Order: sequence, then structure tokens, then C-alpha cells
Amino acid sequence: MAQLVRQFASGIYNLILGLFTTTKHLGRHAITIQYPKERWDIPERSRGMVVLLTDHETGKLNCTACLLCMRACPSGAIDIEIEKDEKGKRHLVEFKVNYHICCFCGLCEESCNFAAIKLATKFEFPEFDKANLIWDSKKLAEMGFDVPYVKPVRKKPVAKKPAAKPVAKPDGDKPDGDKPTEAKPAEQKAAEDKPEEKPVTEAKAPEVKAAEEKPVEQVPDKKEESTGPEQSDSESKEDKTS
Amino acid sequence: MAERLRTEEMIMNMGPQHPATHGVCRLILTIDGEVINDCVPVIGYLHRAIEKICENRTYAQCIPLLDRFEYVTSMSCNWAFALAAEKLTDLEIPERAEYLRVIMAELNRIASHLLCIGVTAMDLGALTPFLYTFREREFILDLFEMTCGQRLTYNYIWVGGVSKDIPPEFIPKCREFLDIIDEKCDDYEKILTKNPIWLVRNKGIGIIPEKMVHDYAISGPSARASGVNFDIRKHDSYGVYDRFDFDVPVFFGCDCYDRYRARMAEMRQSARIIRQALDQMSDGPVRAKVTMNFKPKPGEVYSRIENSRGEMGIYLVSDGTKKPFRMRARGGSYNHLMAIPEITRGLKIADLVALFASLDIILPEIDR
Ligand code: SF4
Ligand code: SF4
Repeated sequence: MAQLVRQFASGIYNLILGLFTTTKHLGRHAITIQYPKERWDIPERSRGMVVLLTDHETGKLNCTACLLCMRACPSGAIDIEIEKDEKGKRHLVEFKVNYHICCFCGLCEESCNFAAIKLATKFEFPEFDKANLIWDSKKLAEMGFDVPYVKPVRKKPVAKKPAAKPVAKPDGDKPDGDKPTEAKPAEQKAAEDKPEEKPVTEAKAPEVKAAEEKPVEQVPDKKEESTGPEQSDSESKEDKTS
Repeated sequence: MAERLRTEEMIMNMGPQHPATHGVCRLILTIDGEVINDCVPVIGYLHRAIEKICENRTYAQCIPLLDRFEYVTSMSCNWAFALAAEKLTDLEIPERAEYLRVIMAELNRIASHLLCIGVTAMDLGALTPFLYTFREREFILDLFEMTCGQRLTYNYIWVGGVSKDIPPEFIPKCREFLDIIDEKCDDYEKILTKNPIWLVRNKGIGIIPEKMVHDYAISGPSARASGVNFDIRKHDSYGVYDRFDFDVPVFFGCDCYDRYRARMAEMRQSARIIRQALDQMSDGPVRAKVTMNFKPKPGEVYSRIENSRGEMGIYLVSDGTKKPFRMRARGGSYNHLMAIPEITRGLKIADLVALFASLDIILPEIDR
């Protein structure tokens, strides 16, 4: 009997303790927000809509049609059409992103060496028709027109500036010996594509911070990947499984 | 009169869309009145063939898939896979990356336990703790979004390190969270731990004896609530866990109540680990030099880590190409679900809900 009373008393006490805790929260502000009217700050790194970036000086897309992002995409959401001119240089004909199957992983942004594709912080693009979710380069460029970005600091082609070579060498961990020689034409090509591009970062207020954050050791990493364009096209097809 | 009343067993479906099944799981119950005589779990509603798809993807492309394997603690899934691939490649990971991995995985463990406790309380009819735990969980998800850009499918821990360094505002925010989490845990305990309704619904329900833990290979907090002192972080250490000072909370009640207490205690220990990691962390690179399409050596490897709901293991077979030859994942939830028929025999239907929630079963991990 005594135990029952004790149990009862302890039960009542703990219920009151719990109620006291909940009452403490009564006076506090609500942490929820009324979504379409109120908005929150989306972090700069948020991975939303995939967009193509435009070089504001030339008005052209940054993309050099190297197909690296298409190969890196795990869901095969990127579809790129290219054509080669008589010199063997690639030109972008069409760039499609299929948002049904894009999983917003960010690997395309990671694999691109030319700051041409980015996952912007925009996330509201619902559609009534599924077919409208396949965007072509025009739409992608339009959505990405005002997205701030940092131009990659591109090293000058080795042939013109021999001093650049020893800089790249010590931190470049090369798996096979012939890769650096392969990388040269790729760089040159990139430089030809965008002769006006300055190697300085664009002074856009929110992005300067991000430029500093980018660890330096990522540069040789990407250098190795930039051998990609030299790989055969058959490999790219094999990669693109969906 | 009662003797002449003829009762019959009835077969009833619980699920697949029952909210208390945490995903889509169907339980075929054979009930006699309120008492469960038999229970057959039916799984596979969420099957996405993740293991098979991984065979067609490069190692770097597998990681976004592993996010979907068990979406409550994606960081741990990423880590388990990265660990296996790194063992195959003999990669040396930068120290800062190791610390970042520990911080992220422990934050993710807290988020997962918060979800589990909140959902258990909600299944048993208490809505308030659910709202409180989700408030704290949001805080952690904000930290993740600030770091890697997503709130649920992080794709953060990569083979060779982590994808990005933390932004400068991460550390002050993380410390702010660590300052409040202990106090918040006290709040939950005030509402739940000695609440008479909570006690009646949880104490002595769903007993898992120690023998059954070994029979069914139950792991994680559920095993530690049955008196099995086993934590992979401590007893088969990986990453830099051997540098931290933390306890493994073990309880001997074997019931739902002790599983709840084990999770509560683990959250405090996780916060302790993060505090030490933030203090010990030094600057440096966060990614080893490894290309996207790297090719590991041929061979096979099994790596396991302590997930928030048990042992999470990845078995990888490599044939020397850039894609895995075979990937096999092991999650804790499968073993927990398979033990349910034996535990539930003789329980009431309402107790099954408490048991299901306390084992913290996540269905995508089972169906994969
Ligand atoms: S990786 Fe960049 S430059 Fe190459 S095709 Fe893709 S978007 Fe264009
Ligand atoms: S975010 Fe991922 S899935 Fe989407 S297009 Fe880029 S690589 Fe493909």
C-alpha cells in the first residue's frame, strides 16, 4: 500500500515536472516560419538547381564541351551534344539536364574545370508536366545568368611561360608518367577558347570568401582530371549507364 | 460463461502504410484478441537495387547512392564505403579530414537518436518531445547544409577525405549547439524518463535477452541495452576514435525503456567526442590526392563502422577496374526486424508499436 502511494506521488511529481518544462516553452518565439511569405537564409553551398554559367565579358557559356560532367554524373542526367570543326576542336551544340533523374549530388560541379556548371541555391522549379523538366542550354544559361561564381585561376600555357611548369610539378601526384604531357594540349585549348579570360578572380562580394576557402591542393587534383578530354569517346558511353 | 465463448485467431495486416512502421513495412499479425500469436514481416517495398547499381558506377559515383541506403545517417554510410575503398587503395587520409569525419558522424548520430526518441514518443502518444527533438535536429541539419549543401543526402565523406572543408562559421555554431544539447537532453529526460505513462508503456516491454542478441546479431544501442558491451568505435577502432575519451553506456534492462536510456546516454557521449575533436583538430588539407576514376587494387575487403542503429558494414570486391565488382552492404535494422517475431509473441499490438520504435528500424536500410 505504501509503495502504491509512493508510486502515485512520484508519478504526479514527474508529470508536473514535465508540464513545467513544456510551460517554459510557452513564452518563447515560434521557430517555424510561414514559408512562402517568410524566407530563411539559404547557405551559399546549398545544392539546388543545376545551371550553366555565362562569361559576362564575352556573353558566351563557359562550357568547353569536354564531357567530364556527363561522365561524372551518377544518374546520367546530363546529355551533351557536340560537334567537331575541321581543326578537331569541340563545340557545344546542346546541353540538356534531365531533372527527373538528377539527384543533386554535385559531382558535375566538382568535375568541371572551367566553372561552367554549378548547383545554384535556387530550388523552386515545380512543373505540371514532366517533359518540362528537361532543360536545354538556353534555359540553363538563363537560370544561371545571375549566379555569382569564381573564375578558375588558369595557368598560362606551358609553351609561353616555362616558369609555370616547376610550380605545377611538386604538388602534382602523377599516377602515370605520360599524363602531364597529355594535359598540355587541353590547357592550351582552354586558353584558346577563352582568350579574354583574366586569371584574376572576379571581385564579387559574396564570392571572394569562397575563393579563399578553396584549398590549394585541389588544383593539381583537377589538373589530373583535365586529361579527360583526351580519353576516347567510347569510354564516355560506357560510363554513362542509366 | 467465458469458457463457452469460442475465440478464433485472426490474421491482420499492419502496414505497409502504418505510420508506426517507419517506412513501408508490412507485418502480418496473427492475433487472438489483443494478443499477438505470430508476426511475419514482409519487406521489399522500398527495394531500389542499390547494391546492383553500384556495380555499374565508379567508386566516386557510388557515394551519392550510399546516401540513399540509409537516409537518416548518410554520413556513416558514406564513411563505411569510403573506408572500404580506402583499404583497397591503401590511401592515406589527411588528419583534418579524419577529424571532420568524426565530427560529422557524431553529429549525425545525435540527429538520428533525436529522431528515434522523438518518433518513439510520438508513436506512444506524446507529441511534445517529438517537436522538441526535431527543433534540435534542425540545428544539426543546418550545420550540415552549411558544410556540404544538403540536409539529408550529404555526399560529404568521399574516398580520400571529405568533399569540402568546413566554412569558417561552422565551429562557433557547432560549439553553440554543444552548449545547448546537454541542457536539452535534460529537458527530454524531465518529460519522459520518469513519466508514469512512459514507464508503463516501456518498462518490461519487448525483452531481448542477451542470448537473443547473439543469436540474431543485434548490434548498436539495442545490444548495449541488453548488457552486451560492444561498440565498434571502442573495440575495433577506425578513423581516429582511439584518440578520444568516451564511455560506452551499457544497460541491463533488456527492454524498450533501457534502449531509450542507452540512446539518451549515447547522445551525451557523442557530444563529448565532438568537443574533444573540435579541440584537437588542426588545419591542413582535407582531401588526399585521388582522381575521380581511380582504380583500386584487385581484392576484397570488409569494413565496418558503428552506425546509430548498429553495425554498418560494406563488403567490396574489386577486380582492378574503376568500378566495384560487387558491393554488399550490411545494416543493423535487418537483424532487428528479423528478431521481432520472436520478441513479440505474447505481446499486445500497442506494445509492438513501442518495440518497433525502440529498435529504431529504418526500412530503406533493409530493402536497399
Ligand atoms: S565539365 Fe564543364 S566544361 Fe566540361 S562539358 Fe561539363 S560543363 Fe562543360
Ligand atoms: S547534380 Fe549529380 S545527378 Fe544532377 S546533373 Fe550533376 S552530377 Fe548529375
